[in-house]
Amino acid sequence: MTLPLYYNWRNLLRRRTSSVLTFVVVAVLVFILAVLLSFTAGIRASLAASGSSRNVIVLAQGATSESTSVVLPQEASRVVQAPGIARSPSGELLLSHELCVQTSIPRRGGDGGLANVAVRGVDDIAFEVHTEVQIVEGRRPRQGAMEVVVGDAARDRYANLELGNEVSLGRLENRAYQVVGVFDAQGGALESEIWAPRTLLTDSYNRPFVSSVVFRVEDGASVSQAIDYIRGPSVQLEAKTETAYYEELSSRSAELVWLVTILVSIMATGAAFAVANTMFAAVDGRRREIAMLRTVGFSRAAIMFSFVIESLLICTTACVVGLGLSLLVTGTRQDFLSDTTWTVLAYELTITPRIVAAAVTTTTLVGLAGALAPALRAARVQVIEALRKA
Amino acid sequence: MLRLVYLYKNLTRNVLRTLLTCAAVALPIVIYVLSAAVINGIDEFLDNSAKQLRLVVTHRASVISPLPAGYRAKIESLDPTGKRILSVCGMRWVGGRRENDSRILSTMAAQPDTFPYTFADYQLTEEEVAAWNRDRQAIIVGRATAGQFGWNVGDRITMIPSVPPYTPVEFRVVSTAPLAPDPITNFCRLDYFEEVVRSVIPPEGWKTDEWVSFIFVKCASKEDLDYFRQAIDALFARTPDETKTQDEKAFVTEYVNQQFNLPRNLTILAAVTVFVAIMAAANTMSMNLRDRLNELATLKSLGFSGRTLFALVQTEGLILCGIGGLLGALTPYVAFTHTPLRDFQVPLIVHLDVRPIVCAQAVGIALLIGVVAAVWPSWSAYRLPVVSALRNLE
Repeated sequence: MTLPLYYNWRNLLRRRTSSVLTFVVVAVLVFILAVLLSFTAGIRASLAASGSSRNVIVLAQGATSESTSVVLPQEASRVVQAPGIARSPSGELLLSHELCVQTSIPRRGGDGGLANVAVRGVDDIAFEVHTEVQIVEGRRPRQGAMEVVVGDAARDRYANLELGNEVSLGRLENRAYQVVGVFDAQGGALESEIWAPRTLLTDSYNRPFVSSVVFRVEDGASVSQAIDYIRGPSVQLEAKTETAYYEELSSRSAELVWLVTILVSIMATGAAFAVANTMFAAVDGRRREIAMLRTVGFSRAAIMFSFVIESLLICTTACVVGLGLSLLVTGTRQDFLSDTTWTVLAYELTITPRIVAAAVTTTTLVGLAGALAPALRAARVQVIEALRKA
Repeated sequence: MLRLVYLYKNLTRNVLRTLLTCAAVALPIVIYVLSAAVINGIDEFLDNSAKQLRLVVTHRASVISPLPAGYRAKIESLDPTGKRILSVCGMRWVGGRRENDSRILSTMAAQPDTFPYTFADYQLTEEEVAAWNRDRQAIIVGRATAGQFGWNVGDRITMIPSVPPYTPVEFRVVSTAPLAPDPITNFCRLDYFEEVVRSVIPPEGWKTDEWVSFIFVKCASKEDLDYFRQAIDALFARTPDETKTQDEKAFVTEYVNQQFNLPRNLTILAAVTVFVAIMAAANTMSMNLRDRLNELATLKSLGFSGRTLFALVQTEGLILCGIGGLLGALTPYVAFTHTPLRDFQVPLIVHLDVRPIVCAQAVGIALLIGVVAAVWPSWSAYRLPVVSALRNLE
């Protein structure tokens, strides 16, 4: 026989102050946990959504990122020999030469000054190779015209990148490119970028080389064979799938996850103590009641169970409220400067199912840890003695 | 005397509750201390940067666009007396990593002749400077980096730069810069690095030498700093490579703020944890009050004034949180000064240095938490209506 949930609920309401204070402690814990994790989740989500496992990115040998990679034209032209490069319906090779440069653009709202935004010089074919890129507003830039398209993350996070605005690019920042379109890359890292016609960018920045060559591998052809070929003696460049490339870039966020885990576990321990404190008080204040329940036939187990449920009740509602609060900050854009690419990645704070799972697990653990000792004490109440003291 | 005994009895009456509350206050204080230590570390680093009176000249378009190396001579010529601009040092970002290790190192290739003077705050010894000047393969490694990889002075190390030529380059450690403000960054000689680049990359592709990423300009005084900040940009205005000159503090701040805006976010975190501690402590104090209502009423009816009761409850909160604060402040202090944890590195720019002053602050905050947490209970005790409290006696 178990005690009804209603009994626990009424008990919590009876000790309103201490229930509310404990509730707040746990809710704040969940809020912090969710917000901290949403930073890393945002970065990871953005990088994980980037690229395709059928796309191969070719960099200079030893280069760790596009922004520090220098592939000379004669080297880049050798990439076409790789086996299994897909063709578009019109028969063009799906192979895109790209130049990555940077420009400083202020953030929106004037906080934190300038950000180093990536500018990618592309040919028309790039839009076929990067299939995730879709123009959502305006149109593609015309080759030979001083026009750019911007990623929607970049537009949301940085100033003056609206359709029709002009953005100054080039080594002297004196070439005015007009924003003629906005693109979406399904949440990927490319959304933080500005895309411009490659030939013009080469001239504006005086960089007679490309940073990377990206090509799509035919369905049915082996990706690893193409990669081996590029790394081999006939091309001698670094190649990896796009997914692997972005995976490596996200390794930095692993450090952050560590830090968050340490912080959160310290706080969770503190919260468990706070919950334990409240539950001990609840047990001590109800000795007579417990003895009475035992007398009318409730087992020790039922009473223990009841106290654990009571603690979990506080923690679970707090968890829901904490997560609800954290939803308020989601969707805000943040950016961070990668020390590998030296450009900023604008990402969205997101509450993922994994974060919800982490929050629920943590609060359940806090609830259990906080309730266990008090519940044991409740189960050990000496019936006769407790009743006599009345 | 009676009051002290009474206080002591109260705290030991429910030892478990006292302990749990202390712990619930101590753990948030731990987080506060750690956050404050990181923020302090960053502040200190920035303050040192400001004290060094160095300007950082970068390309106007972006930090990583190259500047012609010849700019150094032009900047030097702004002050022919050599009394206002003390030294100018160009640097190139090399980054780098070790073979079969994905961790990115922070390495700069610096113009060797002026480096020791421009970065006098690195406090290299005469022998170290002599070795730096003598050996073209010299590298000064950050002490934290050296500790991490077990590098010692005299070691030969191999590094793969993050920029062309991307092939392993050999260096010899001449110093681990024990007194440098930046424990992470390594410095090698630019002349050597350029030679390595030249040997690998075909010269017709792209300008591979005669450029730098940053130019550091050490000025003699604050006035000179302000003057040259503008004079340098004016000098290169309307040239193919315009410059952006800022003092080192502004430059570093911009970088730090792009790393998750750490100072601001940690401040928020610290504030929230203090709030949590207040809640936890307030909970205990209100439970204590509930348990002792009749006792307090009895004290009042015996003639103790409301003020005495107010003071009693307040002091109890103070002691409770004071103990928690001490525990919370001392644990990280001991952990990060007297155990192997002191070699722990914060991923960004500083190692964690938990200062006694931060700990003192934390204890102060804990006491404040005690006061705030006890406000409502002590006020209730002060206003306690004796008759109704005694009537409610269970």
